[in-house]
Amino acid sequence: MAIDKVTSAALETSTNQPNFRNIIINGDMSQAQRGTSVSSLTGTDATCDRWRFAATSAGTWTISQSTTVPTGEGFATSFKADCTTANGSLSAGSILRFSQFIEGQNLQYLKKGTSSAESLTISFHVRSAKTGTYIVNIKDRDNTRSFSQSYTISSADTWEKKTITFDGDTTGAFGNDNDWSLEVHFYLVAGTTYTSGTLATAWESSTSANLAVGQVNLADSTSNDWYVTGIQLEAGSVASDFEFLPHDVNKERCLRYCFKHGGEASTQYLNAQGGYYDANYIAFGLVSPPVPMRSAPSLTVNGTVIVHRLNTDYTGWTWGFISGVQSQSWFVSANKSSHGVTAQHSLIKCATTSDFFLYSSEFF
Amino acid sequence: MFIEIKKIYLNNEFIYYHCILQNGKQMAVPLDEANSDYQAIQQWISEGNTVIDNGN
Repeated sequence: MAIDKVTSAALETSTNQPNFRNIIINGDMSQAQRGTSVSSLTGTDATCDRWRFAATSAGTWTISQSTTVPTGEGFATSFKADCTTANGSLSAGSILRFSQFIEGQNLQYLKKGTSSAESLTISFHVRSAKTGTYIVNIKDRDNTRSFSQSYTISSADTWEKKTITFDGDTTGAFGNDNDWSLEVHFYLVAGTTYTSGTLATAWESSTSANLAVGQVNLADSTSNDWYVTGIQLEAGSVASDFEFLPHDVNKERCLRYCFKHGGEASTQYLNAQGGYYDANYIAFGLVSPPVPMRSAPSLTVNGTVIVHRLNTDYTGWTWGFISGVQSQSWFVSANKSSHGVTAQHSLIKCATTSDFFLYSSEFF
Repeated sequence: MFIEIKKIYLNNEFIYYHCILQNGKQMAVPLDEANSDYQAIQQWISEGNTVIDNGN
């Protein structure tokens, strides 16, 4: 069909379609396969997919996927960090960051390390009980270069939208592979190790003292919290509206890094194709994830694994991999000496509806 | 991060690491250099820690 002219309405409709301009995955915090809340946290953990919350000598926290969102923006979820034990006297190495790590092969169009390097603009909605200066840092992991900028939370307990542009970097290209090349960090706490220099307000060889100069101490009171949603990082110097993706598309992008199997229904069999055990000790199930994962994943099991055959569950098994772990398929084993099950063609499954297998090829 | 790491064998072949984490969880880690947990294990070993190896 021939097109005579492009109307402004048609152009607007066209530009509002998803085009994957957001480098961040799950910026609306809608996916949380690992769980919606973690409490008593003093180290590293995650709720919302792709986002790492990492604390060192920075109080105790509950993190969660929250339904507190900015009004009228279209978001249904946010990430929340709530301080439950304060630390008002930070050590030099104290640090608290909310971070995402991005594969180099997704960043080649930014032309980093060339004279045509693209600027990057990050936009997000943020809210906190503690006002003041906060730091956003982007780090080129391949070339150990960093760029930090500050933003201000002006009104307590009020959603504010922030936009920050980082100039392009003509030094150091991103690797074109499945390893992580770019780190995006939202600082929430930083000790003097990270604040004693001059804030790196342009690309520079990464220096710890310059990363988070001016950062408030969000851990200084149990009244403090921090919400964020609608995080978008895109090429160029202008922030466009947040790119909402269909639920299934967003989930598929997350599944590349984390795949939770089970925990949602009464019969979460590991292997619909049939399992097998021999008379010795091992049963196994073949797993094919919905999308290829970034790398061969690690496996954790939340709960108990049982072996099922002919409507009978056999308990007391330990679990693990057996050989053949790749990004698109792998075997999970259940082991038990002298198990007493003599027939073949068994299945592995979760013991209860809340149990699940979690496969991770994340960067943390 | 790690409390204990053990090599797991099948048919005399070293096939994965079984780890006990500080949060009490257990994790199986494949022998894949692109896996970040595998990388963390190599770092843990380089820091002088010892992996349990009971052979096959």
